[in-house]
Amino acid sequence: MDTRTMRSSVLRGAVAVALSSLVLSGCAADSKPAAGATTPAAGATTGAGAAAQSLTIYTGRDKDEVASVVSQFEAKFPQYKGKVQTIIAGAQDNLDRMRAEKSNPQAGFLWGGTQQQLVQAASEGLLTSYVAKYADKIPAASKDPGNQWFAEMQLPEVIIYNNKLLSAAAAPKDWSDLIKPEWKDKIVIRDVSPSGTMRTIYSAMVYQSFVKDNKPDAGYAFLKALDANTVAYAATPEDMYTQLDQGTGVVSVWDLQDVLIGQLKNHHPWGFVMPTSGAPVLLDGVAVVKNKNQDQAAKDFMDFLMEPTMQAKLAKDYYQVPAMEIDAAAKPDWLTKLTINEMKIDWKVLGAHQTEWMTYWIDNIKGKGGK
Amino acid sequence: MTTATTSPDVGLETTNAVYKRPSWFRRRFNVIATLTVLLVVLFGYVIGPMIATVRRSLSTDPIDTIGVSFHAWGDFFLSNAQRDAIAGSISLAILSVIAAGLLGTGVAVLLTRWEFPGRGFCQVLALLPIALPPLMGVWAFKLLFGVGGRIPFALHEWLGVAAKDLWLQGLAGVLIVHAMTMYPYFFLTVSAALMSADVSLEEASYSMGASRARTWLRVILPMLTPAVVAGALITFMSSMASYTAPLLFQYTNVMTQQIVIAKSDGDMRLASIIATTLAVISIVFLAVIRSYEQRNIYRTQSKGGGRARSTVTSPLARAVITLIAIPLTLVLILPIIMILVLSVTAKGGWLATILPTQYTLEWYAQMFSGSEFWRPVMNSLLMSLLAVGGAIVLGAGAAYIMSRLKFRGKVALDIAIMLPWALPGTVVAINLITAFSDPSPFAAGRVLVGTFAIVPLAYFVRFNPLVFRSSFASWSQLDPNLEDAARSLGATWWYTFRKVVLPLVSRGIMAGALLAFVDGVGEFVASVVLYTPQWVPLSIEINNQNYQGNIGTGAVYGMIQVALVLGVLIVTRRMGTRELAVAVPAT
Repeated sequence: MDTRTMRSSVLRGAVAVALSSLVLSGCAADSKPAAGATTPAAGATTGAGAAAQSLTIYTGRDKDEVASVVSQFEAKFPQYKGKVQTIIAGAQDNLDRMRAEKSNPQAGFLWGGTQQQLVQAASEGLLTSYVAKYADKIPAASKDPGNQWFAEMQLPEVIIYNNKLLSAAAAPKDWSDLIKPEWKDKIVIRDVSPSGTMRTIYSAMVYQSFVKDNKPDAGYAFLKALDANTVAYAATPEDMYTQLDQGTGVVSVWDLQDVLIGQLKNHHPWGFVMPTSGAPVLLDGVAVVKNKNQDQAAKDFMDFLMEPTMQAKLAKDYYQVPAMEIDAAAKPDWLTKLTINEMKIDWKVLGAHQTEWMTYWIDNIKGKGGK
Repeated sequence: MTTATTSPDVGLETTNAVYKRPSWFRRRFNVIATLTVLLVVLFGYVIGPMIATVRRSLSTDPIDTIGVSFHAWGDFFLSNAQRDAIAGSISLAILSVIAAGLLGTGVAVLLTRWEFPGRGFCQVLALLPIALPPLMGVWAFKLLFGVGGRIPFALHEWLGVAAKDLWLQGLAGVLIVHAMTMYPYFFLTVSAALMSADVSLEEASYSMGASRARTWLRVILPMLTPAVVAGALITFMSSMASYTAPLLFQYTNVMTQQIVIAKSDGDMRLASIIATTLAVISIVFLAVIRSYEQRNIYRTQSKGGGRARSTVTSPLARAVITLIAIPLTLVLILPIIMILVLSVTAKGGWLATILPTQYTLEWYAQMFSGSEFWRPVMNSLLMSLLAVGGAIVLGAGAAYIMSRLKFRGKVALDIAIMLPWALPGTVVAINLITAFSDPSPFAAGRVLVGTFAIVPLAYFVRFNPLVFRSSFASWSQLDPNLEDAARSLGATWWYTFRKVVLPLVSRGIMAGALLAFVDGVGEFVASVVLYTPQWVPLSIEINNQNYQGNIGTGAVYGMIQVALVLGVLIVTRRMGTRELAVAVPAT
């Protein structure tokens, strides 16, 4: 109700400005209609903060998940009712926004970001430290020593396949299978450079050889062979899903949560394989943004979201593998059955070399494997 | 001007002075006032933000702006990948100009020179792709021609050709998209030129014994040069700034994609360096075209009406032209047909078949589900309207000054006005964020980032050049003697403006404004960086829907956009085809 009246007054003001600027168009003088239109909008925003703080959440999570958690949050904390807003975009886009807004932050809470992105954001001074209520349930390796971010979930990276065109028995069992000649032109890959997920998977491949002889060469050779088998690089995750469904390619690699949501909620014809040599397990985390206008609301939201029963619920409804320990009884069926075969990775070493390895991949490997 | 509009009393008191001739002072004052406003707006919203980006490119730190160093610029020019991207962008732009130019000129000649059944309809349809919803449109191209596309698939089913060999990827895919979305720039200018072409020249050529081919080569085509040059300019700049097509067709060898990669690496300085280089290349191209235009003049001496359209009398020739024109037009609107089909395809109802196997109206049913569905549409309409209002004031005002006055630095001013057209939307957005994340005098001391105003402002900055160009064409065609005649007959400045000037130029301004409006409604690239959750634009909603796997809903929104564009085109056509043609920079 509140927002509606505000919006209509903004609208009226904006229309008035637009009309007057049209009327004035005879004399090519005062011509900042766009700037003029701010006045009511900006006034309304500051006015709203008087009682309880408002909260803007930047997130990459599923739209339904966001809507459901926010409405539960508003029910539990009525003072925030109608004051929580969300921007759903890719994790990288959200990070870009926060950087741009550093001197005048707009977001209060960052819900979703890879470990590397969170480390970067913390080092750039975009986050603020806050010890969440249940932070002690999160293993030390899954949170920032300075408490600037916490992992919310684990994202195992797995092999997926189109289960209408390929039987479970025929599907590749491990990363090394992907470069066998039988998969020539059968693999579709979400383009690597713009995707945090893919960059980590590919870096993990290089890391496996790097950790043996301190050289990335064997890893590069593997990626080159994989490139030769890759029929197409997809521009977006959705593009990759379409190509997998259509049978452009029958095998891909992706994170388990999206695979399960796609398979069980959106009825994509997919199956997944936990690679025998291990799956890189990414951390995906949350953080309170450095923004004094929203800090209290953001902290309340953090405690609400990172509460074991809420995490169990998200595990059940949205197939999240929680980063914190939750009661065995609260675990959904699929999670109890799931065995994550984690690939051992020193994320510091990987992080230090990721840009170098991926630059090499773009310059020397992508599209050149077949030649 | 201002005095004349706001204080008629003063005008009455100084009746004699006003009626005889405007005083030197008044003219001078108005010009200076308008120029000042123009410069302030340009500096505040276009040049200033660009300077901020250049400044960041010289930083010693990849993220923060501190110190001054050319080190990163050196690395940039030494990097093979970056040099390839520069070459890639330029060659893509040149190839796009050639491809769109051939297609656009061909279609213009076909649909303008000859009368055939369904011609008017074809002309409207051929214009549709000009505002193909940017994001949904490129998706449609990709699903048609790209990897796993329906057309290669159909050819495989029918002819047994390996579909994989027919997939358009990389450069070829981007070129198809550019040719089929940018040809209207040539189509508009060339058909306008053809219609107003002086028929006596052609007749003279024939009467002096020239063959048909020779007349075409030496008379008709050379007369089209200014139209082609204008189309080439806008196509070149749009290609340089093109983002979605290279993204979806996986052509990373261009600068806009390198900006994204640099950003994902967290290297904002490198992103700024690439953005600056991109702007410089476009500015150089603009300057070259301008100086070429000023050196070569293609004007006919005769006055009066254009050429009567040749009517094909032979039934055979008529049939042949119809048979070429109608399928060609259908191919041109294929992406729109694709969006239409997607909007009635059930989820998962179109996998390994040429046509969908399951149809549904559930996506359209959402239109009646409540006001929530329409909110993004209304948001975009409002934001676009505000931006266009500003562009009409500033763009048309600037065009008036530029066409009436000679002064030093005119070319520089021209380039400054056109600069945003040469910048990718991402760069415009990043420039604005850099400039307006702190309280700024250009935003009345407020912070604009995160408010409603920033998105209309971005649209205004991006599409002002469009209104400027089309108004400039109208103003240039308006003979100053008309104004002088009205004034010498005793009309006030304001009366002259309303009754003489406005009727003659308003259509040109409106045509540009309508196109800018349509572009604003579909704008994606800058919106995605700037939008606020209270005011989600249409394109962002489409993107969100696609991201959530609801391509059907995205397609319904796409069809709403197409309907909107169709409406605008029909309105503009009512105003007369010739006015529509000036909407694109016919210089």
